[in-house]
Amino acid sequence: MLSYLIRRLFYAVLTFFGITVAVFALIHSVPGDPVVFFTGARGKHVPPAIIQHIRHAHHLDEPLVAQYGWWVRGVVTLDFGRSIFDGRTVVTHIAEKMPNTFLLNLIAFLLAAAIGVPVGLWSATRSGRLAERASAVTFFLLYSLPSFWVALLLMHLFSVKLNLLPLFGMTSDDYLQMSLGQQLLDRVRHLILPVVTLTYAQLAIFARFSKSALTEVIRQDFITTARAKGAAPSAVLWRHAFRNALIPLITLLGLTIPYLISGSVIVEQIFQWDGIGRLYFDSILQRDYPTVLGLTVTTAVITLFASLFADILYALADPRIRFEATP
Amino acid sequence: MREGESIWQVTWRRFRRSRVAVIALIYVAFMTILALLAPLIAAARPSAPVPYGPNDVDIVHRLEKPSPQHRLGTDDLGRDVTARMIHGARISLTVGFTATAISLIVGSILGALAGYYGGAADWIVSRLIEVVLCFPFLFLVLGIVALFKPSLYTIMIALGLTSWTTEARFVRGEFLRIRELDFAHAARASGARDVRIIFRHLLPNALAPVLVSASFGVAAAILIESALSFLGFGVPVPTASWGSILSIAEEHIQYAWWLALFPGVAIFLTVAAFNIIGDRFRDAIDPRSD
Repeated sequence: MLSYLIRRLFYAVLTFFGITVAVFALIHSVPGDPVVFFTGARGKHVPPAIIQHIRHAHHLDEPLVAQYGWWVRGVVTLDFGRSIFDGRTVVTHIAEKMPNTFLLNLIAFLLAAAIGVPVGLWSATRSGRLAERASAVTFFLLYSLPSFWVALLLMHLFSVKLNLLPLFGMTSDDYLQMSLGQQLLDRVRHLILPVVTLTYAQLAIFARFSKSALTEVIRQDFITTARAKGAAPSAVLWRHAFRNALIPLITLLGLTIPYLISGSVIVEQIFQWDGIGRLYFDSILQRDYPTVLGLTVTTAVITLFASLFADILYALADPRIRFEATP
Repeated sequence: MREGESIWQVTWRRFRRSRVAVIALIYVAFMTILALLAPLIAAARPSAPVPYGPNDVDIVHRLEKPSPQHRLGTDDLGRDVTARMIHGARISLTVGFTATAISLIVGSILGALAGYYGGAADWIVSRLIEVVLCFPFLFLVLGIVALFKPSLYTIMIALGLTSWTTEARFVRGEFLRIRELDFAHAARASGARDVRIIFRHLLPNALAPVLVSASFGVAAAILIESALSFLGFGVPVPTASWGSILSIAEEHIQYAWWLALFPGVAIFLTVAAFNIIGDRFRDAIDPRSD
């Protein structure tokens, strides 16, 4: 286990440097002077003396390798510079918005798992029957629905037509005057539509993944052995198949996080949810490059940690992994 | 497998069994023809089936409900939605096919190198895949599109360069399997150069699973393009795209239902069709399915 752990950590460190090189290369492949990353849209009207000053302060007058060194140093110490828009540090901005995104995504993730996994396992045991095929088609169609369109329709139906739920935002205008119970209810009401939008597409991923995991397990020899020795079909399923089918689900932890963060950009933008997806979008609109780059690196590193965590869990759950040559 | 059947004949026979998949294939063919002939079908000529150009502004008839004159209604500038939808199909399918072609080429080459040579080549490509997979897809695409000038080409290249990892992993896996098969050894023994072995002998045999992921790739690319256009980072205005019609719909959601309904259904059906084709195709090439 220890050697696996060391190897996995080593690869994670390599990937981390890969991420920093990729973003660094992206910055320097943009046509024009990288000084615009710090002057923003005002670029053309900044006096040469100040440009010179910015160039020096951000080490743009040094060789490329040294610039990369400064860049990595910034990433490691969580120093992405200051937002061009309001002068506050990028890290403050990200730290401020992160809990909102986290809340939204955690609920969506748990909901999708709680519904998708049982349905997927169930449909693997009913392979080929009408109910299973109907549920597979339903998930397939859900997966193909564009989320921003679904969000529009949900807003139209529940907010405009039925007037049941708030159109957007995280809290109502009179939130501060509410009692604690009302505040809680208000937050839940604002959560419903964005959570539904984030959840429905993931349902299909969870269902499909757990279905194929169980189908794969059922085909294996030890299941045939269990059946041959006369174990009851339900015991084969519960004691032998399910437990082994759940292990690959751990990898979904690492796989769905970048997917969720991507989805947040669309959902947060439409529902005016004050998270990092919206921050990213606004920063791109305002050409606030330090924030854009900081968020790109941060989300990639979060994914890196999630998949590292998932891999270690997987190795703990499945001893076969630890003895393979490469992680 | 029946006697004398080629692998593609078997695949087609199995694929055909699913009626939904055949319908999806016909739908995709129909949309492709519609997209190719868009300038002939929807143009400001009385003889055209849809006698409006996609950018013909007519303020007097803005935001009109579907009627015999404008079968799918008009948008906020009085442009005919039917015409814009047909021209939007052109954008969606162009982005879908081109972005997938880029990721197919990049992914196949890198995956083939990794799988064929193994060792250091495999190590480098695998690390590269890990790095790319860490970036949330939409962040990367949105970032690239915003840093460079947003255009049809930027979108296609950004999508292609960020989605090649699936194809690369498939090709790599297939190459690891088939490079030790007899025909590969025979090719090597007869003195063929590596390039020839990779592209003439191995790649055609590794293509089937890659085409499955390409079909899903087209679906994903169409979905992302429409999302980008919806967010305002897609093809620049006034070019018609399904996503940009939806972003106009958002401003008029209170009453202009036709603006939200038709492009949404078009995106949904097209994405679903490519997903269904990929899914059935995957089952058809699975040797366990017969």
